[in-house]
Amino acid sequence: MTFEKIKEIIADHSGEDTENITLETEYTSLGIDSLTIVEILMDIEDEFGVTLEAGKIGTTVGDLVAKVEEGQA
Amino acid sequence: MIRTPLCELAGIRFPIFQGGMAHVSDGKLAAAVSEAGGLGIVSAMNYGGTKLREQIREARSLTAKPIGVNIMLQAPTAADSAAICAEEKVEIVTTGAGNPAEFMPLWLDAGIRVIPVVASAALAKMMERAGASAVIAEGGESGGHIGEAATMPLVPQVVDAVSIPVIAAGGIADGRGLAAALMLGAAGVQMGTRFLVAKECGVPQHYKDLILKASDTSTIVTGRRLGHTVRSLKTPYSRHYAQVEYTDISDEELEALGVGSLRRAAIDGDEKGGCYLAGQIAGMVKAEQTAAEILEDVMRGAEEALASAAAYLK
Repeated sequence: MTFEKIKEIIADHSGEDTENITLETEYTSLGIDSLTIVEILMDIEDEFGVTLEAGKIGTTVGDLVAKVEEGQA
Repeated sequence: MIRTPLCELAGIRFPIFQGGMAHVSDGKLAAAVSEAGGLGIVSAMNYGGTKLREQIREARSLTAKPIGVNIMLQAPTAADSAAICAEEKVEIVTTGAGNPAEFMPLWLDAGIRVIPVVASAALAKMMERAGASAVIAEGGESGGHIGEAATMPLVPQVVDAVSIPVIAAGGIADGRGLAAALMLGAAGVQMGTRFLVAKECGVPQHYKDLILKASDTSTIVTGRRLGHTVRSLKTPYSRHYAQVEYTDISDEELEALGVGSLRRAAIDGDEKGGCYLAGQIAGMVKAEQTAAEILEDVMRGAEEALASAAAYLK
């Protein structure tokens, strides 16, 4: 569930199709810049009520999902 | 008289910050601006530990009013500078080039108000959530390291994104600019280029002369290729850099061209080899004045502009 929503948010900001975004997808492969990553993080914070730090979200979508779930626990 | 929420927040008479310019903004300039009613800001970037403390103390010896320190977060000395600001209890810290989240608890515990420079609405939101008291929305018209968005579209979008005060920066050097910024929803402005020619600013005269004789087309943006996008005055150095930037020159050689170029401008006044940072508004800066004269001129101009704008309402 968390992954599905995060995938939608990333797709919305990156223009990538949701089916191409997996837990292994690296941010760098999406061609998005640091400002876009911040936009994605802000939307995720709004959605899940968690606090994320731009420098501490790992390198893959799976890392991000883990951070969010950790933050919700 | 103009008073905005920024005046209360920062403990200042006029809603004007003097930008923290690396190799330029020292304790003397910051004290002059603060003493005259704005917020003077010491740049931490050019000083490691002891030197920054000295500059803060020099400013303190010259004024009892609030002062700020600007920390460029990517600088190797950032953590050291962050600790010194807390120890010296400066009133305001402004940050650039990165996320200040890791230093926030330290500064907030010391009673410091943190005001990050942001280049997007989402970053502004992130800073607000991290505990920032205000943000500086800096458009790409400004001198030095710049983002893509221009002041005119950036400021109102940042204003809409956060509920803390927004300070507009980039392309502002007179009362009309301050008035326009207030109309965009900002609570004040930050100016760099105009204060660079202040009488209390200690840069070599050549730097000031370049700004005083600049026109509206005198600046150039270089460094995009390496991700250090910088606006500076067109000089032999910057023209050369622009010429070679997109040739087959290696990244290492290009990087080497940049090393020490800011210092050569702001400290040595090297006419050929210096990179003289300045904003697009340099063309409008025509007089070397004291910080007090600059602040008075901007405030008077803004009052006139705001008062005369009523004539458009029919």
